[in-house]
Amino acid sequence: MRPRLRRPSLGIVTTVLVVALLVGLAPSAAPAADTPRRGGVLLAVIGADPPSLDPHQESTFANIELVAPLYSTLLQLDPYHYPKIIGDIATEWKIAPDGLTYTFKLHQGVKFHDGSTLTSADVKATYDKIVFPPQGVRSIRKAAYTAVAAVEAPDPSTVVFKLKFPSASLLANLASPWNVIFPKKYLDQDPNYFKTHVVGSGPFKFKNYTRGSTFEGERNPDYFVKDRPYLDGYKFFISPETSVRAAAIRSGRAYIEFRHLPTAEVEAIKKQLGDKVTVQETPMTGQWGVGINTTVKPFTDVRVRKALTLAIDRYTMGKVLAPLTGLKNVGALIRPDSEWGMPQAELAKLPGFWHDADKSRAEAKRLLAEAGYPSGFKAVLKNRNVKLPYQDFAVFLIQEWRKVGIEVENRPLETAAWFNDGQNTGNFELIVEPTVEFMDDPDQFLGRYATGSTQNWGRFSDPQIDDLFSRQARTLDPVERKKLINQLETRVLENAYFMPGLWWTRNLVHWTKVKNYVAPPNHYTNQKLQDVWLSED
Amino acid sequence: MRTYVAKRLLLIVPTLLGVAALVFFIMRVIPGDVTLLILGGDQAGRIDPAQIAAMKHQLGLDQPLLTQFGTWLWGVLRFDFGRSLWTGEPVTQELLIRLPLSLELALLASMVSVILAIPLGMLAAVRQDTWVDYVVRVVSIGGLAIPSFWIGILCILLLVIYFGWGPPLEFTPPWVDPWANFQQMVWPVVTVGYRYAAVTTRMTRSTVLEVLREDYIRTAWAKGLRERVVVVRHALKNAMLPVITLVGTEFAFLIGGLVVTETVFTLNGVGRFVVDAVAHRDYPVVQALVFLIAFAFVVVNLLVDLTYAWFDPRIRYR
Repeated sequence: MRPRLRRPSLGIVTTVLVVALLVGLAPSAAPAADTPRRGGVLLAVIGADPPSLDPHQESTFANIELVAPLYSTLLQLDPYHYPKIIGDIATEWKIAPDGLTYTFKLHQGVKFHDGSTLTSADVKATYDKIVFPPQGVRSIRKAAYTAVAAVEAPDPSTVVFKLKFPSASLLANLASPWNVIFPKKYLDQDPNYFKTHVVGSGPFKFKNYTRGSTFEGERNPDYFVKDRPYLDGYKFFISPETSVRAAAIRSGRAYIEFRHLPTAEVEAIKKQLGDKVTVQETPMTGQWGVGINTTVKPFTDVRVRKALTLAIDRYTMGKVLAPLTGLKNVGALIRPDSEWGMPQAELAKLPGFWHDADKSRAEAKRLLAEAGYPSGFKAVLKNRNVKLPYQDFAVFLIQEWRKVGIEVENRPLETAAWFNDGQNTGNFELIVEPTVEFMDDPDQFLGRYATGSTQNWGRFSDPQIDDLFSRQARTLDPVERKKLINQLETRVLENAYFMPGLWWTRNLVHWTKVKNYVAPPNHYTNQKLQDVWLSED
Repeated sequence: MRTYVAKRLLLIVPTLLGVAALVFFIMRVIPGDVTLLILGGDQAGRIDPAQIAAMKHQLGLDQPLLTQFGTWLWGVLRFDFGRSLWTGEPVTQELLIRLPLSLELALLASMVSVILAIPLGMLAAVRQDTWVDYVVRVVSIGGLAIPSFWIGILCILLLVIYFGWGPPLEFTPPWVDPWANFQQMVWPVVTVGYRYAAVTTRMTRSTVLEVLREDYIRTAWAKGLRERVVVVRHALKNAMLPVITLVGTEFAFLIGGLVVTETVFTLNGVGRFVVDAVAHRDYPVVQALVFLIAFAFVVVNLLVDLTYAWFDPRIRYR
């Protein structure tokens, strides 16, 4: 049976004492009409090695694409219908009417790959590690669970989350692909055990990893979902060079690149292979923007910050950069056209989003003159020395700023210096700031604008934003929540605390013989591969 | 001779120590911090200083620099290069995965180079300013001017576009499956070998030309010796000293210097490993790799010096 509810609404919470959701274990019906075929190894290419194998401690696709098929999660995003939330090892859940207790029932008989049984103690140990990490253990998404007061395991098949305050985003965050369930006994030995080891309960078992070369998983015959997975295994070839990965697809050495290939490569692949390949173009839950250090002059002055954002013609930028980089869609702080995104009509009223670029530039010049910079000023944009999409993005911005008299130097830094000499220390004026999350969850995308957030690269503090963020996070009525979210976005953009650039799109290229993979709007979710099959080897 | 070899072997120790110290301190001077990279990640945001301090302690980076250097050197004496700060795996283990590939590529490319360059260089010198010389010069200047990785990319694209075939993406050692190994290695060997051969051809040509103008060659001609004997026995052997020096140093360079070629051909070699380690500020890995590459250079130089004696019996080492 399919899940029917995505997130708790105020109406339900107030009228029903207990919300019980019966969740089918299998995802919704597959869109493909063909009969799935058993067997074959899915060959994929990927651009990097992960720093470690523990998804709780990493934020890169290089981790999750490789290890997601090896693990289970409590909930998951429906592989066929993003952003619907369904169970993975949870069969059903209840939310107390006050929104402060979430009770999950677990599937019985789920086995880890070492043969032990997955119980609620493992789920509790996993979430304790994520929400309350022990000293010296990194938990990268801990901030998403500030509402959680305690995780309890009253019996082997029940897990209870106790909250300090109602959280509109909790279910979404429990469906995070990063929150894989680890066996408690290894965590007890060493909370960092899974940085270098894999013991999961997912559709595939770990087979081999040669750093810099390949990562392999093989079919788990004891997987708790009947008749899954279809594949005998999967194998990733690791190659940092985009053209090499594209050539691997063209030659059939690999069947899929899950992240993104530039449009020029995609066109070449399509031209050569015709209908042997399929391209799925999706929007991305990721945005490239510019962090403005609000603690250094002249960026302490709101007029200067507004001039910076007014100078950019985002609508032209989308047309120019889309074929080069995939950066395409104009939007505010939440993905446009998503459930929470700001309507275009409202967006067009905000500085930097007017359709009349000349009017925007004139206003930018006026503001600069008013702020004491009639002939502009010079600044440095710190950037990451990664070609796509960082460098092309910066080049476009710089030529736009020049039109209003602001001379900006692009300073590409290798990743180490980008962290150390940029975002982490605040030693920058302007910095290219990407935001990519696993779904369009407002808490994930807006947390960075709150005072003191580690993600608040621009180091600004606005009590009104803090209040709006806190209220939207606790507001269970989606209509009311959206209003608060849009108010928060307006506040950030009118004060130009952060300068949005463009929202990314994703070109997913795969051989047509790879069936049943529906590309969601990012490369973090739907990576379990349990329903994917090959129509031929 | 024995004393000379012993002396040279002993000199390896201070050379390697010097290299080790230099790399150790340079790596710590350049901006960037491995703890921030480990704790960072694309989306991590700012990191709590206490967490950074804990991580530094865990990795032993809070120790005084000299203590760190001493600990590392003590490990090296026991053939223990420590663990990668980035992956936690023993450096030796990580290195052993990549070394066979790099050695094979360096060996094969050197062979291709020597087999092509010496006859071609010699022929170009002997037939100076004829069409043979012009062709050899154009081809070898092409090899010097065109970067190997670009030829590599062209090779792959041509194979993919015209034959729908690309080289395997994974290294198979020759003793496991020689055919799979050949399919993967032939292209990088050809592209790297071409550049290498170009350098060596130019060197062979110019040194043979120089030797051909020597008095003893004129004497050999005057004695009525056949061309083959004059060129091969009298000229070539004497022209070989700079060539073998070049071949030796190029070989040592190839072990760790083929970063872009390795990337283009998806080869998991030492070159890519060095660059990744530097980018990650993975100090033990960088130190071990530079140590290894320096060791290769020192040993190859010694071997080159020793072969001088074979080529030129007048050279005697004391």
